Amino acid sequence: MEFTLLFAAAFAVGGGALALRWEAARGNAADCAGDLWEIFLTAAFAGLAFGRLAAMVGSGVNPLTSPGDILIIRGGVATGPAVVAALATMTILGRREMPAVADALAVAALAALGGWHFGCLARAACLGTPTDLPWAMTQPGSTVGRHPVELYAAGLYLIAAVALAQYRKQRPSPGMAGSLALLVAAAGRLVTEPLRPSLGGGPVWWYAVGIGAGVGGVVWARRARSSRA
Amino acid sequence: MSEHFGGRAGGDGGSRQRTRVRLIRQGIAWVVLALAALGACGSPADVTGIADLPEASTSSVVESIRRAGLPAVVNVWASWCGPCRSEAPLLAAAAGDFESSVSFIGLNVRDSQPDAKGFIAEFLATAPIDHVFDKDGSVVADLGGTTGVPLTFFMNPDGSVAKIHFGVIDERTLALEVDELLRAAG
Repeated sequence: MEFTLLFAAAFAVGGGALALRWEAARGNAADCAGDLWEIFLTAAFAGLAFGRLAAMVGSGVNPLTSPGDILIIRGGVATGPAVVAALATMTILGRREMPAVADALAVAALAALGGWHFGCLARAACLGTPTDLPWAMTQPGSTVGRHPVELYAAGLYLIAAVALAQYRKQRPSPGMAGSLALLVAAAGRLVTEPLRPSLGGGPVWWYAVGIGAGVGGVVWARRARSSRA
Repeated sequence: MSEHFGGRAGGDGGSRQRTRVRLIRQGIAWVVLALAALGACGSPADVTGIADLPEASTSSVVESIRRAGLPAVVNVWASWCGPCRSEAPLLAAAAGDFESSVSFIGLNVRDSQPDAKGFIAEFLATAPIDHVFDKDGSVVADLGGTTGVPLTFFMNPDGSVAKIHFGVIDERTLALEVDELLRAAG
């Protein structure tokens, strides 16, 4: 079992929790009645569980004949199904006020993603493709400089979280912040993906779907505001 | 809790929502636990055509790597090891991708021949991996490993150990370490 992944998970939950508290203190939190912390945790839990099951099925391991493997998260969590499950859970829990719940969790979600990628420091898993850039990092015992790609991703998401929190102070139309968060989350993965070491065939198309859904949400939110005005 | 995190779940509505959230979370947990409790109920894989694994010694493993003249990934596994199942499909795919540039060796430890062959039949039957049998785990110990499985040795073409990865390996780590091996080998 790769326990260091739990550190990354702790960074993610901690990042999300801090963002929720920060937003609440700024009076910039929710226009909704939902318990955001409960929804955040439950959506994350559902995403992890279903993402793991999808990864097992996708790699040819039957969850029914190898049930204990479900708990071996290091064996892989399928990004796309995990995000779909998390979003579906959030939709179910906040169905009466979905745009407001999505907006209220948007900053926390980006901060959690930033924390998750920042957790690479605890896992010694930050490095990507080789580079000669001055900030290149090397593995112990190696002379090959590499992009600290997971730190790039962490920085990108944390900056995006702060920027989105600032934007929310302008009271954008309902659903806009949530859609922007989805757009940034997917785009962040897409632009950093070429810098990650891979055996080929990464889930890039899932990121494209996420970007499409985010753009669709932004358009919907703008139209909704226009039609109300 | 909601006071600190921004939501305003209060009164009967808030209580109902909290109950619903807990029910959903418990439901997911029960599904996962129920699957975990089912146990291995599938039929054993057909091992016809899979030969007994040859007994390995440290020198035979190192010599086979030197003879091939390629960097090697030596994965230590056992049929009783759940995490080994989890990483087997990844190793099988990688062995196929790097067949001409990296040797993949499966080092089966503290296992029985029938169980080891069953595991190969189920997960690694078509993968270009040479499996050997290390009944007491002495090869692993000689190479600097521990008794825990899985673990993976990344070895230079001269048979020296470049890196040891303890625990389940993921795609990015495997890709990174193979890249390091290939660059070091020139």
